Formats: sequence, C-alpha cells, structure tokens
Amino acid sequence: MTQSRDIGVIGYGCTDYVKKADRPLLTFLAQAGRDAIASAGLEKSDIDGLALCSFELPPDNAVTVAEQFGLSLSWAYLGTAGGAGPIASVLNAIRAIEAGQATSVLCIAGDAYDVSGLFRLLDNFGRALTSYGSPHGFGGANGLFGIIQRKHMETYGTTREQLGRISVDQRKNAQKNEAALLRGPMTLDDYMNARVIADPIRLYDCVLPCAGAEAVVVSSLDRVPRGKGVRVLSGYEHHNHPPGEISPLRGGWELFRDALYRDAGYGPEDFDLVQAYDDYPIMVAIQLEDLGFCEKGGVGRFLEKNSFTWDGTLPLNTGGGQLSVGQSGAGGGMIGLVEAVRQLRHEAGERQVSNAQRGLVSGYGMVGYGHGLSTSSIVLERS
Amino acid sequence: MTHNDQQYPTPRVDQINSAFVEAWAEGVLRLQVCGACGQETFYPRPLCPHCWSSDLGWTEHDGKATLVSYSLVMRPNHPAFFEETPIILAEIALRDGPTMLARVICDDPTQIRSGLLLELLPAEEGKKYPLPTFRPVL
Repeated sequence: MTQSRDIGVIGYGCTDYVKKADRPLLTFLAQAGRDAIASAGLEKSDIDGLALCSFELPPDNAVTVAEQFGLSLSWAYLGTAGGAGPIASVLNAIRAIEAGQATSVLCIAGDAYDVSGLFRLLDNFGRALTSYGSPHGFGGANGLFGIIQRKHMETYGTTREQLGRISVDQRKNAQKNEAALLRGPMTLDDYMNARVIADPIRLYDCVLPCAGAEAVVVSSLDRVPRGKGVRVLSGYEHHNHPPGEISPLRGGWELFRDALYRDAGYGPEDFDLVQAYDDYPIMVAIQLEDLGFCEKGGVGRFLEKNSFTWDGTLPLNTGGGQLSVGQSGAGGGMIGLVEAVRQLRHEAGERQVSNAQRGLVSGYGMVGYGHGLSTSSIVLERS
Repeated sequence: MTHNDQQYPTPRVDQINSAFVEAWAEGVLRLQVCGACGQETFYPRPLCPHCWSSDLGWTEHDGKATLVSYSLVMRPNHPAFFEETPIILAEIALRDGPTMLARVICDDPTQIRSGLLLELLPAEEGKKYPLPTFRPVL
C-alpha cells in the first residue's frame, strides 16, 4: 500500500544482548524504548501510540505495558506475526497516524530467553505444533527448516557451500558490531564442518536464542533534522501462504513483491542494503528469490556471484543479523529494521554502507505446522 | 516408556481430534474428510479448511505414502527422544491423500532418501508412538 510520504521512522534504540537473561523482559523493553525516544529527540509525553511484539509478554499486553511505563495512549497494538510482526507493527503505526489515532508511536520488540526457553516456546507455539509436532520429537524449528532446506537443495541443486556464504559474510559484518554475541572469525570450512543439528541444518545455520530488545519511533518526518528521518516508501504483510502446504519453497513475499516495488518506485537493483530475516540461511535464500533478486531456484548461483558484507556487492544483514548478533525472540524481527534505520541515518560506524540511500527489510515468522506463517517487507529511504 | 523413562509428549485430545487419536491407538490412520466438498485433511480442523463446512467425518487411509523431504534431528525438543537420535522427521505425501509431518523409523538412517515409499508401522509396534509413524517399504 502507498504510504504517506511524510511519516516515517524518526528514532531507534536497542539494548545490549545477553545469552542468559539477567533482568526481566520489561526492563529490556523499557531500555530499548527509552533509547528510541531519545534518538528521535522526543519526550515520553510525545508518545501516544504503543506497539509491542514479544512472545513472552503474555499475560501482559500493549495496554498493561503502557501502565507499567506510565504512558497515556490513544492507540495500542500487539503483534501476532512472530518475526514478521515488528515490520507489520510499523506499517500499522503509519496507518494509525494517517487516520489521526496517534501522532507518535513507539514500536518495541524483544524477548528475554535462552536455548531451553526456545525449546519450551516451540513446544507450545500453537495447537498444531503442540499436538502434531512435539509428539514426533521434531526438534523445534531446526527440524522443520531442515526439511525445507533439503527440499530446496534437491529441487534446485542449491548446495551447503552456497548457503554458507550468507553465514560467513554476516559473521564478517558482526565483527564490526560490538553488540553481536558471536564475533569470532568463521570460515566456510567452519560452516561446512560444524556440528549437525538437524541434517542438513548445522550449527552455523542456527541462531543463538538470547535476551534483548529493539525499538523504533514512527512519527512525522518533520520532527527530526534532515538525514535523521527514514521515509517508509511501501510495505506489505501476508499470512498463511500457501494454505495447507507443509514445507513450501516460497514464503509469500512473491505475492506482494510487484506491488511493493511499484508503490516504492524502486526495485531490487536500487537498494544499497538489504536486511532479510535470517532465522536460517535457507530462508534468506528463499527471500532473495521471492523478492526478485534472482529467479526461483537460482539463488545458489546468485550467492556465488555476490558478496554480502557491508562493503560487498549486496550489503546484507549489515550488523551480522540474527545469525551472529543473536535472536531475541520477536526482537529478531526488528533487528534488521533498526540496522537499516541506523545505516540510512549514516550512524553505522565502521560498518557504514557508503552513501546508503535506500534499503529493503523483510520479516518472517510464526512457525506453524511446518514453516513460518507470516511474511512482511518494507522499503525505506533516507529523508 | 522409552529407554530413559521419559514419556513421549502426546497430542492434546479434544472433540476435534479424538477420533484420530483413538484410531491410532489401534494402529489405524484416520483422516478427516469433508461431507460437503469431499476433501481430506490432515491435521484435524474445527471446520473444513477448504470450504468451511462443519459436515466433517472420518475416513481410513492405508498409510501408503512417499517421503517428500526430511531432516535428521540430533537435538529433539523433548528428553524422551534423546536416546533415539537421529529422529527421522519427514514431510510425507499420503497416496491420493494429504501431506503430513511424520516420524520414520529405520535402523539405518543412511538408507533414507527422498522419494522412498513408506508404510505405517504394524499396529503392535506403532502403538508405542503417539502419532502415526512410518517405515520404509523394503
């Protein structure tokens, strides 16, 4: 859908990331939110909308968090789309502002868990997985995405060496990001020979569950100086596509891709950076196909021809992504958005993409009976 | 009970899926079938996901299937499975029927290939697993 060109992201924030939660979830959410408001140059009293994405938040919700934070709101939103939710929350915040329901919306995403917490979460993610996945010993998301990766490899000839380029280059990006939990050097050999988790998925195909939160402020771009606002040119979400298919080799981005680029006025060749949802390299690969960076099935060759570091031919997940920074639950769906905003404000330090003007960010999540049910994408431009 | 004395997790049984769960306790694979549009569905739903009819019944499937794709899970979600790794977790296509996630039992996991023909475990062996479980047709 076409967005108002006067509304965008005017601030961002994030917490430190820790492997084991050392403070309550609400503390992480508060820190990220306060950071984002400060980065926007706003006061707490300017915030009249709040959007939250968090798996562990229930029984609390956006309204009880408003009570905790002492916010008086005219609009509140609770994300339901897992790692696709944070982008969707920004799109919905823009609609709320366009409709006059709010003027400045704080969007926060995060969770505070660890490896065992992730397994508990996946066991109880939805009725279908609880009843028809867990009793098989399914291994959480790793087992499900192993099925998808093998199918892609056997259908299109995609190799682990090709997919490994994503993990290896993102690790190089993480070495320029002090917030990343995994910053040690990683070679393609390291990737290939890592411990098997759910064959063909190995250790460096997997994210490290952790605690942390990310946040952005959505408001009128004229509230910040030129260069500090990030315009939202277009954005879409989609859920449960294709219905009934367990391990599809497409995610739903292909349904709105043409509209996304038509609304934005830009296509894949116009982006200075891409932040793709990286729960697994195979899903980054499928996103690159669905979003038109190469044809379906052609991502293996595409991966071989490109480099994905911050100074590469296609800067991808320039902060290291979830694969190196860690996955703070639903916060994993906002880490790319915050990194894109940081880059487009030219505040990315040693990993700054030269003269970054436009970026694409996509989200994916809410694992159902076999695959992620939700997808989202947003096109951003430096104002 | 498994080797390490942990019970397998079991499906939550309710009015939607009880006929399916009870059938598998006897080694029978029962699929939900829609009386209005005739389509079969796995897993059991509160309404037909194709036409939204509530006219839902059950049909038996003989369990003949093809292995579509699979993963070899080394780190299962529940301790009951820890001594049985790798867990062969597969997407399977039932012959003339829907696809489903299923566990495949095979003493030698290196024998597993996409495209293999599968059949249900015999009732006596199958009953120890909480959901329909398959083996390669040798």
